[in-house]
Amino acid sequence: MPRRPTNRAGGAKNAAESGRAARGAVMPRRPTNRAGGAKNAAESGRASHGTVSDLVIRLRVNGEARRWTVAPGDLLLDVLRREGYWGVKRGCETGECGACAVLLDGEPVNSCLMFAVQAGDRDILTVEGVARGEHLDPIQEAFLDHGGVQCGYCTPAMVLCTKALLERSPHPTEAEVREALGGVLCRCTGYKKPVEAVLAAAASGGGSAAGARAPRRRAAGRRAGR
Amino acid sequence: MFDQLRAFHRPTSVAAALRLVQSERRAGGRGAFVAGGTDLVVQRDRSLRWLVDVSRLPLRYVRQRGRGWAIGATSRLADLEHSAAVQRLADGILAEAAGTAGSRQIRNMGTAGGNLANASPASDLAPPLLVLDASVVIAGRGARRTVPLERFFRGVNRTVLDGGLLVEILIPPPPAPKGGAAAWSFQKLGRLESDIAVVNAAVGVAVDAGGRCTWARVALGAVAPTPLRARGAEALLVGKPFDRPAADAAAARAAEEARPVTDVRSTAAYRREMSRVLVARALAECLEKIGRGR
Repeated sequence: MPRRPTNRAGGAKNAAESGRAARGAVMPRRPTNRAGGAKNAAESGRASHGTVSDLVIRLRVNGEARRWTVAPGDLLLDVLRREGYWGVKRGCETGECGACAVLLDGEPVNSCLMFAVQAGDRDILTVEGVARGEHLDPIQEAFLDHGGVQCGYCTPAMVLCTKALLERSPHPTEAEVREALGGVLCRCTGYKKPVEAVLAAAASGGGSAAGARAPRRRAAGRRAGR
Repeated sequence: MFDQLRAFHRPTSVAAALRLVQSERRAGGRGAFVAGGTDLVVQRDRSLRWLVDVSRLPLRYVRQRGRGWAIGATSRLADLEHSAAVQRLADGILAEAAGTAGSRQIRNMGTAGGNLANASPASDLAPPLLVLDASVVIAGRGARRTVPLERFFRGVNRTVLDGGLLVEILIPPPPAPKGGAAAWSFQKLGRLESDIAVVNAAVGVAVDAGGRCTWARVALGAVAPTPLRARGAEALLVGKPFDRPAADAAAARAAEEARPVTDVRSTAAYRREMSRVLVARALAECLEKIGRGR
């Protein structure tokens, strides 16, 4: 799994979705680049970097060991996007919308509310780690099959929250599904179809814990929802 | 976002955390403790220069302590929600309240100690903990001190912590009257249950074998600068037969004790009326539980 989207068009789309974030996200952490404009300095969160001692954290992201240098005040959302995990979406940045959710040691958290330092020695799963190469996870398949994706901005978080749900409760009730997705706001589909998708994923043994079913390979055209 | 932060400490013992705070204070500059970040990050306080992360301290536990309970300050809201012990304690009002304190992601991050130390008037844990006569243990300069929760809050976002660290919540054994019964209820009004409360309330009632109320607690949140005990309502209940008229009179009294404000979530008048409604519902639930002969 490449850390950055190899498809530049995909990158451009992400940039369009969240211009403010994406600019910061592609900025390497070399100080020379921070001088690249006041706006970028503000985005990367370190206008006056001189007195701040950077911290080194080791963590696992999508199963791969990472060693990152972060500033004390860096939020996990910003660092993940800077490192190319653009499936972690910048939404409200106040913990309300859930678009930035990732799984921390298997449990969903909002990365906008967590300092990057606090992810040290932890295990993070982003949506980039859910599919295996071109093979979508059954949960992702279900979201496509049931029209659970419209603009797609909330989809990574919904997929991750679903994954955590099905790990702990492989056969959830609809109420449990709604509770599990309750911290991810969608402004397109109104939740009905995502809920149907999760119930369908559960019915097909879609939790990766169940894992028995080999994911189907999708025709390229169907992957647009990602 | 927090580019002004110059230090982020991650101690693994309470003593080390307190030492770090002391040395940072000597060096000057404002700082704070942080755990789940669900309040601190949202508040975006740009005057903060340092943080001491308490999430690695060994304070994530729910333990029996004598006949009561001790809850470590960094227990996540989700820990309380799912703890079998907390679910059994006092009809599960504390577990229920923890389960409404924000979305699942928030409950996986936010801690019990943070929910109190932030001193939001709308804290969801405060009303049930007030009803349970909880105290908090504060570590700071010198000996640890134990403060009844009712005296812990000083105003909106203000407490008696004075730079100390809330390390533990103590809950004494709830009343279990011989031959009588006790019941508890938690109620919350928000747009959705997981939203911040417009009003929240918890009650506890004990009755003797004759159905006379021997003990009562009524607590309200989001209707005053701090979560409050409605002592007038409690006094109306104790010593009288616990029935619907008594419950309704107590609910009306609780609404008079509320000191609500108008803000983006509600008007003061609506909050006062909903205080009455929630306390009435809570007491009605207790009445029903006791009537079922538990």
